[in-house]
Amino acid sequence: MSVELGHFALILAFALSLVQASAPLVGARLGNGRLMQIGEPAAITGFALITLAFAALMLAYVQSDFSVLNVWENSHSAKPLLFKLTGTWGNHEGSMLLWVLILSLFGAMVAFFGSNLPPSLRANVLAVQGMIASAFLLFILATSNPFARLQPAPIEGRDLNPILQDVGLAVHPPLLYLGYVGFSISFSFAVAALLDGRIDAAWARWVRPWTLAAWAFLTGGIAMGSYWAYYELGWGGFWFWDPVENASFLPWLSGTALLHSALVMEKRGALKIWTVLLAILTFSLSLLGTFLVRSGVLTSVHTFASDPARGVFILAILMLFIGGALALFAWRASALAPGGLFHPISREGALVLNNLLLTTAAATVLVGTLYPLLVEAVTGDKISVGAPFFNLTFLPLFLPLLLAMPFGPVLAWKRGDLVAAAQRLHLAFAVAAIAGFMVYFLVDRATAFAAIGVGIGLWLVCGAIADLAVKAGAGKVGPVVGLRRLWGLPRAMKGTALAHAGMGLTVLGVVCVTTLEAERIVTMQPGDRVEISDFSLRFDDIRPFTGPNYSEEQAFFTLFSSGGRQIGEIVSSKRFYTARGMPTTEAGIETLLLSQLYISIGDATSAGGLVVRVWWKPMVTLIWLGALVMMIGGTVSLLDRRLRIGAPKASPKRRLATAGEGG
Amino acid sequence: MMFWIFAALLTLAASLAVMRPFLRKSADAAHGDQHDIAVYRDQLAELERERERGLLDEGEAEEARAEIGRRILGLQKSDASQEAANGNQGALVKVVAIAAVLSVPVVSWATYQLIGRPDIPAQPLAARLEKDPAQASLDELVARAENYLAENPQDARGWDTLGPVYIRLGRYRDAANAFRKAIDTAGGTAEREAALGEALVGVGEGVVTGEAEAAFIRAREHDPANPRARFYLGMAAAQEGDSARAGKIWRALAEELDDASPWKGAAASALADLTGGSPSQNDDAATDSNSAYERQQMIEGMVASLDAKLRDNPRDAEGWRRLIRSYVVLNKPSEAKDALDRAVAAFGAGSEEADALNAFAKELGVSSTE
Repeated sequence: MSVELGHFALILAFALSLVQASAPLVGARLGNGRLMQIGEPAAITGFALITLAFAALMLAYVQSDFSVLNVWENSHSAKPLLFKLTGTWGNHEGSMLLWVLILSLFGAMVAFFGSNLPPSLRANVLAVQGMIASAFLLFILATSNPFARLQPAPIEGRDLNPILQDVGLAVHPPLLYLGYVGFSISFSFAVAALLDGRIDAAWARWVRPWTLAAWAFLTGGIAMGSYWAYYELGWGGFWFWDPVENASFLPWLSGTALLHSALVMEKRGALKIWTVLLAILTFSLSLLGTFLVRSGVLTSVHTFASDPARGVFILAILMLFIGGALALFAWRASALAPGGLFHPISREGALVLNNLLLTTAAATVLVGTLYPLLVEAVTGDKISVGAPFFNLTFLPLFLPLLLAMPFGPVLAWKRGDLVAAAQRLHLAFAVAAIAGFMVYFLVDRATAFAAIGVGIGLWLVCGAIADLAVKAGAGKVGPVVGLRRLWGLPRAMKGTALAHAGMGLTVLGVVCVTTLEAERIVTMQPGDRVEISDFSLRFDDIRPFTGPNYSEEQAFFTLFSSGGRQIGEIVSSKRFYTARGMPTTEAGIETLLLSQLYISIGDATSAGGLVVRVWWKPMVTLIWLGALVMMIGGTVSLLDRRLRIGAPKASPKRRLATAGEGG
Repeated sequence: MMFWIFAALLTLAASLAVMRPFLRKSADAAHGDQHDIAVYRDQLAELERERERGLLDEGEAEEARAEIGRRILGLQKSDASQEAANGNQGALVKVVAIAAVLSVPVVSWATYQLIGRPDIPAQPLAARLEKDPAQASLDELVARAENYLAENPQDARGWDTLGPVYIRLGRYRDAANAFRKAIDTAGGTAEREAALGEALVGVGEGVVTGEAEAAFIRAREHDPANPRARFYLGMAAAQEGDSARAGKIWRALAEELDDASPWKGAAASALADLTGGSPSQNDDAATDSNSAYERQQMIEGMVASLDAKLRDNPRDAEGWRRLIRSYVVLNKPSEAKDALDRAVAAFGAGSEEADALNAFAKELGVSSTE
């Protein structure tokens, strides 16, 4: 019964989403309060129903109910419980269900926390959310139903793709979807504002926390995906400019621009058109990503099954929402009242530059991603646009952005003073420059890339620290007062600094690992040693091992320092998953401070040797730690009182402490 | 029935959710402008703070204050136009509301009628495995054994039993795993190693891989006379192109074994293939026919294994059926007839199983001696 009840709940949620998409909209046109209010209970009930459906599917996975086609195709009774749970979304149908679950969660949150929104705006936002939900629920029910049944039920399933049998599956897709789908709220707000023809400071204040939350989740989701690929695929790469990766990176770029635009709009009433357009573009890019990944246009580990009907369906959804929103924008944007004026050298000006660079960067990535697809569609030739293209186009755009980044927060609103700003940052610049020179003369004289890169990374980190220090009054007040002031700074301000510093850490990690990495590929017999960087690695032996649903060959290594001291033992293995007959590699990784030693084993040679690939990856963990710091920055900023909705009125004293500028 | 009750309750809850705004006494339409004014007040407070911290000078602050003031004034203007829109469209509102409430049950029940399968119950694996074994299918029995062995991996006899079943189901990789587990827990014997080798030949689709050959060699170390290991080692030699050695091994087998051994026949026909019209290495369709030839030999080997197993363990009607069918397919009518005789003897002539086997064999054109 549970399976069919889940199916019924999903269908009921679809019926409800149709009501949510239409009734509040009619109510808003007619000015009828009751009709407008239908959106809230519909959104909350819809979320409850989709949760029920999702729970039913998850239960079927846990119980290995192979009378459900989806469970049979993607599960196995011997699979560990964690992968039975996460396997729920480790396939096309289940992941789409997770997508709408998160969509309905956000809709329900707007309904729940939205009591202080203007009624017509709230009604329109929920209606747009209802439209997106009904389109995707229809897509699921018509082409990708996770509740399709199988009678008679087989006794054993076909198992989950072994690459996905990893804790990464528990974290990466939910985070990424929270990000992707979170931007649907900004989109709904933008469309609702265009429908209403009214857009103002309250609107921006409302959009910002949603954007911030979505951005933080997306940052985490991308970073987690990158780390997962790094340790699971056995190549030790962290970013491949793979179309699927780009699909998640595009909304991140435009979402970052949106975040900063919304800030200007809330503070100064300027950049309205930018903000609305970016809100539409960001979610459009999220939809495009969903289309590219889910339609089977691209083949990757993310493509679970390709079915042309699905591709056409998602393309139709894509055109409907992107086309509709842009048409509405073209029609209504001119009616938006222009905001406050500002001098080119000002916080606003810096953020316009930020928007320009980010959107141009997004455009180049988009071209690099879609061009090969278009060429293939038109001429049938397969061309590949790889790292060289992106290094040549994306980096020159991103470099000035990084250089200018520390200036943004220290410039004043409306009319800034570049010289004064530079003075505030001179110490940060000095630290970065000295570090750059040291890297050049002491570590790597072959190219200047490492030196320049390290300099830029430190410039971002120190610039963020300098920003906080100046705002806390460093140099003007004593250390005790300074620290107290630092603690009392608005959370939005601290969040800005953290996010910018996190970007710096990621840059440091990327630069160090791409310029200073060492790699050895050797054939080893048990007892052999290989020297890499300052370490010596001994191959001890290789032993078979049997897991719950796989057999495995584990290679044991011991790591020694150059002085001969034993540092640790590393196990790297090759697994064979019997149900699918698929092999996977499990890299052996030893983390030493921020750097990692990475071992991936290949095939055994006829002479009894083993092909071993060893990498020394200096500072590699900073890439993901930086993303984590960015995420924390976003969260800290989100916790700023000013952004918390429906917070009670602050006492005058608290208010002084919290009403500050943000970022 | 329970399903329909729950479905009805869910539908009722969803419909009531849509109706909720109409069940309240009044629709309170708050004023949007108050929110904007709160934002602007915050901005004024913030302006003060920036001025205090020295980020703005007095003139700039004054300018900004004036700008915010202008925006607050701008808000009041738009008020009047909003009020006018709230006219009375009672009839239209009622129609929309009724349509909204009714569409929930209508759309959901109609869609479920189209795509739902209320007739199929949920079938958790654990519940299926607790069924009466007599009613369970072979697949279910295997799954039950797998579950048991997952909890008691030390039960070598269990693995010994499950392995041949896997081979019968064509799940060679699982079979190899099962025999490996039996060897790990209870030690290698000639039978287990030879069975492992056979499973690995199955994995290799008839090719005696290095791994399989190693298993057969281990089996021979345990028992130099083990016919199964010797047969496959002959096959390995043949596949390596060493016809002389293969011929020697098979000839020895065919001569040494007594007539009752199924390996005698297998070795004899392999030998016949080797010396007679078997495809040579430089044949035109060498690769194709070679792999067909390998598969043929593998089948012969497996049939012989099954035959040997049924000698030890004859009360296995399904096994006899397979054996008889295999001999018919291999075009060995006398072996088929012999197998049927032995099967009938095992169950006792006139017993239900024997009659069923006789009927089965008759369809294949085999009849027993009686």
